[in-house]
Amino acid sequence: MAQNLHTVDAVAINRFKDYSNTGFFDEMFGTGFVAQDHYQQINSRLSQIGDSELETKQQQVASSFLEHGVTFTVYGETEGTERIFPFDLIPRIIPSDEWHEIEQGLVQRIIALNLFLNDIYKDSKIIKDGVIPREVVESSPHYRAEMVGFNVPKDIYIHICGSDLIRDEKGRYLVLEDNARCPSGVSYLLENREIMKKAFPRTYREMSVCPVEAYPDLLLKTLEYLSPRNSGKPVCVLLTPGVYNSAYFEHTYLARQMGIEIVEGKDLITIEDFLFMRTTHGLVQVDVIYRRLDDNFLDPSFFKNDSLLGVSGLMNCYLKGNVSLANGIGTGVADDKVTYAYVPEMIRYYLAQEPILEQVPTYLCWREDDRKFVLENLQDLVIKPANESGGYGMLIGSSSSRKEREEFSDRIKKSPRDYIAQPIVSLSRHPTFCDGSIEGRHVDLRPFVLYGDDIEIVPGGLTRVALQKDSLVVNSSQGGGSKDTWVLKG
Amino acid sequence: MRLYVLHKTHYSYPSPVRNSCNELRLSPLSNDWQKCITCFVSVFPTTKTRQYLDLNGNLVHYFEIPEDHSHLTIESRSTTTTSKRVDFGNFPYGVPMRSLKEVESSPEARPYLQSSHFVDITPEIWRQAVEIQGDSKDVFQTAYQIMEFVYLNYEYCVSTTSVDTHVSEVLKKRKGVCQDFAHAVIALCRCLGIPARYVSGYFYDSSRDQIMRGGGASHAWVEVLVNGHGWFGLDPTNNRVVDETYVLIGSGRDYRDVAPVTGNYFGKLPDKMEVSVNVRRID
Amino acid sequence: MLSRVADTLWWMSRFVERAEGVTRIVQVHRDSDLETEFSQGAAEYWNSALIALYAQNEFEVGKFKDPGSFIIFSPQWIGSVINCVNAARENARMVRDQLSEEIWVELNNLYHFLNSEDAHSNFATEESKFYARIIRFSLIFQGLSDATIHQDEGWRFMTLGKYLERADLTSRVLDTLTLLGSEPTRLDLIRALRSCSAFSAFKKKYRGALTLSNVADLLLFSEDFPRSLRFSLRCIDSQLHEISAVPSGSFTNEAERLSGRALAHMNFSDINSMISQGLHESIDEIQKLLIAVGQSIFETYVLLPSEINSTTPLQKLQSQMQQQ
Repeated sequence: MAQNLHTVDAVAINRFKDYSNTGFFDEMFGTGFVAQDHYQQINSRLSQIGDSELETKQQQVASSFLEHGVTFTVYGETEGTERIFPFDLIPRIIPSDEWHEIEQGLVQRIIALNLFLNDIYKDSKIIKDGVIPREVVESSPHYRAEMVGFNVPKDIYIHICGSDLIRDEKGRYLVLEDNARCPSGVSYLLENREIMKKAFPRTYREMSVCPVEAYPDLLLKTLEYLSPRNSGKPVCVLLTPGVYNSAYFEHTYLARQMGIEIVEGKDLITIEDFLFMRTTHGLVQVDVIYRRLDDNFLDPSFFKNDSLLGVSGLMNCYLKGNVSLANGIGTGVADDKVTYAYVPEMIRYYLAQEPILEQVPTYLCWREDDRKFVLENLQDLVIKPANESGGYGMLIGSSSSRKEREEFSDRIKKSPRDYIAQPIVSLSRHPTFCDGSIEGRHVDLRPFVLYGDDIEIVPGGLTRVALQKDSLVVNSSQGGGSKDTWVLKG
Repeated sequence: MRLYVLHKTHYSYPSPVRNSCNELRLSPLSNDWQKCITCFVSVFPTTKTRQYLDLNGNLVHYFEIPEDHSHLTIESRSTTTTSKRVDFGNFPYGVPMRSLKEVESSPEARPYLQSSHFVDITPEIWRQAVEIQGDSKDVFQTAYQIMEFVYLNYEYCVSTTSVDTHVSEVLKKRKGVCQDFAHAVIALCRCLGIPARYVSGYFYDSSRDQIMRGGGASHAWVEVLVNGHGWFGLDPTNNRVVDETYVLIGSGRDYRDVAPVTGNYFGKLPDKMEVSVNVRRID
Repeated sequence: MLSRVADTLWWMSRFVERAEGVTRIVQVHRDSDLETEFSQGAAEYWNSALIALYAQNEFEVGKFKDPGSFIIFSPQWIGSVINCVNAARENARMVRDQLSEEIWVELNNLYHFLNSEDAHSNFATEESKFYARIIRFSLIFQGLSDATIHQDEGWRFMTLGKYLERADLTSRVLDTLTLLGSEPTRLDLIRALRSCSAFSAFKKKYRGALTLSNVADLLLFSEDFPRSLRFSLRCIDSQLHEISAVPSGSFTNEAERLSGRALAHMNFSDINSMISQGLHESIDEIQKLLIAVGQSIFETYVLLPSEINSTTPLQKLQSQMQQQ
């Protein structure tokens, strides 16, 4: 039971008298009973606001998101339902020294992942030196043999990476996964900040929080850096699958913030291995595509499918060096969960140093010993498919039925390469406003790393919160919400 | 002060080269005034890198690329915190020139008093040094005068000298870049018995219009040993005593000991080399 | 700018204008109901409105009993106000990066309102406020379009869409008078004027001389009334020339040629010759011209030259555009 010892005056409300943080690391209280230093101001602000005021603020925020169309689309229920991404008013706060360490760890990681991709599509030294087995790399469904030997512009494969961090019961930050294809969520990070500045202007100012508004400019700089043309202002576009994509709001948001065109496949046309967009004044050559489309949708003739979203001939433009893509093709190998297990080795191999950020121990079901262990200990592990995102297709052993475990055990035996297992990490929790009271809910953190001329990370990231009690799944498609993340100035 | 440095070096060869073996001195030191928080050195074409500490205590990354390649890119990203190094109101005056005899044979000073690859001690240089010294009887005062002399009388100009320019040529032409300025000061100091070493690193140009020389590239300056006070940094290129805006990578007898990138390979000389250095203050 | 974006902006603006125009028609007809027994001709003027809006068949097979709520809420009829607003918002969502936050918020709010339960209860209890809300939205939308975004090419396409739609609506309203089956009464004429928000303008110009010829003269030929056909066509013609930077009076593409011809037709014709030719027939001819102008704008600015005559990609692209 945490007790709030920092109430500012007698009339202040003790919002945490029934708050429990037993069994978890709590972002606000740690493992103790007293709000940590960097949470003091928020704590005292919360104790000054009445219940109804907090409730009203929370509702205003929700309607403001709806009004501004800050929504995502959910599939499966009815045809494309528009939803707001639930937002919680209590910000997550990260002290500056803690952030610096995370930042360094993320920079180290993206450098290593990028070197890895450059390597496996060139000389494969890391494979030849026996650090990573060849079959792990080449059996990844996102491995693109077509890229072998190709020189990606400026040696960069991953320009935008969203790595998910969690904290274990001791409060250590661990990397849970890397999203090296088309990570989304950054628009919520930016919108959340705007909302918070309006909801808690005074507290925000007093705490001197690092701003995040530079992200679109940094992203544009990253894209422009890739331009194959040396002269003139590069023409960059954002390629979207279209208005029915769940992240369409984010696509228009980023395009508007960067001042670039948002295009669909049908707006583009290739002529003699150059890419053009159709405008009211004829065709305009395109230099860089920020694509929010997976690899195999990009070019129906190259990837031999009937995708209507892509552009026929795009890959030839890319391979001839006439247009650049961010992210590059074939980056999915780097966020394969089997590859993940080898990232510490990559860091040691390419950078001759130890990983700064730890990660979750991972059992690879294709290794016989690991598989045996996994099958015997299903109830104590999380089983994840190696190549799914959005929190789909997981088994959390401790809360599964015998039938579910048997099902997974069959699947693992049938296709061991497709599954990995990890011990169940009890994610840290954060005070969250739930139905009139404040309760602890599990959170993670997705910072966004940009790799262009230099590597840049806007301070913080998207804090995702599992709004259902005791749920460990924070994905927006699975009932998760988000919080603003405040990194304090050092 | 927290300083972030991005240092990129890119070589293009006219035809593919092979068996390239290289040593990199690109990682900032940790010592009493600065702490290197992180340093990431990456190499394209990708390869395994390893590291060791050399005789001067500098961290060296080394790697080989046996395969044919026509480009080589080396990127170093480091974050270093620096602390106040000198009190500008209180320089270490008061150590007399004659006390230099006492340090002559100490192991800390000895290597920095003798001739080295790029730096000679000759009667001519000695004569010039004595002239600059004038009637100064103080070690720091003398070293400072030498720095000022070089700053005021030498012309700063790019591409009149090369990485292989010997100090004797610099003293004759009185022009060059930071490397040459540093070699000149070292030679002049050593002739008078002041232990002087060559330092490579970066500095953060905090001036409003970025008018200082040597920004946007790797920089070099000099450190002199003031008996009983330790090593002091002097930057003859900018006529400044080195403070917390400087990040040290390493030090040695002269450029040869701390060259940022050295190596050998089979093939033709590069037809293009691009270097960019970007130093940013982060707080 | 991207051709698709130009096309989308143009449709967005058309749908907003259409929602306003159609709402006003319903509003005016409902007002007429207060003074007319259904047996005394109310059925007839509703009928002519439905015909002019091409909505008669859908209304007859649909579930709606009352033509007013049918025109506002019918999910089946593509021209209903709710469908227009939904389409406008969907188009806006595709090109949000081109719009100001203010424009988006207005449109998005109306969209959420019309698709909520509130809309139906509001329509049932406070009908006049309901109409006013939609019409006021359109006017705010136009004001914001002029005041909060660049008056660049995108804005010109929006303006084109607005005036083309407006010309179309005005011609349809006028057509209701020829579809009545009997000579229009005083009430019919007033209803037509008010449907175009032209009653006060009419009074100012013609005093009390309320005749079909005068009403048609204002709605077709007025030089300065912003909903007349002539005025709308002049705006279309000048925007087209602004876009291509070709001086007015000459043409470099089909869209300019057709709009120039339509404008010349309005500039050098008069009400008497139209009435002697048959008003309905004349309006029909103008409507055909308007459709041709719209189609030629699409072909000039959205399609590539090679696609205009090759059937397959053209149809695919076009059908996608029209679905919006």
